[in-house]
Amino acid sequence: MACGTMNAAQRRYMWRFLPAMGVYSVVIVGSGLASRWWHPEGFGLFALALAPALPLLAAIAAIGLYLVEEKDEYLRSRNAIAAIGGLGILLAFTTVWGFLEEGGVVGRFPLWGAFPLWAAGLGVCQGLVHLRDGSGGEA
Amino acid sequence: MNNRLRVLRAERAWSQQDLAERLEVSRQSVNAIETGRYDPSLPLAFKIADLFGLAIEDIFLNPAKEQDQ
Repeated sequence: MACGTMNAAQRRYMWRFLPAMGVYSVVIVGSGLASRWWHPEGFGLFALALAPALPLLAAIAAIGLYLVEEKDEYLRSRNAIAAIGGLGILLAFTTVWGFLEEGGVVGRFPLWGAFPLWAAGLGVCQGLVHLRDGSGGEA
Repeated sequence: MNNRLRVLRAERAWSQQDLAERLEVSRQSVNAIETGRYDPSLPLAFKIADLFGLAIEDIFLNPAKEQDQ
């Protein structure tokens, strides 16, 4: 999504994704500090615990909307392949980790780590797709 | 899929960017189609054919027929 001049769908994606991640950065720090200072209980604790997830849901929605709104079928295909590759990496990692965890070999994998792991896998796969397709320079 | 897109573009002295703008796709898309790394959808193939005033099979080579040759 980052190569060359951005099209309308890519610009909309950036305008959705980057603010969501900015809000996430603020909320994750803020909810941690608030929990430490106020020691909330009941609904307050529920709300503070849930708060960091909400901007990440917005980030996931931004990725989904990009795939829906991208009119360039080649770019959509590349990014869909990368997203599926990221999902494959996530499934492979959590499957192996789950059995290791079940056997008492490793500790608990935090479920909130699923999205960052998928996003990292997506990034790796975007790089691999870019390498496979070359730079796309004028031939 | 092999195709004559590069030749047709060269005949009109269009750059990949020129063709991309006419087709309303990215230059990467044109490059990927030209080099056979990406097969366009039927609607895009029709758009390409309309742009050059040709039939789809005059631009994109039928892989089954290529194997026979």
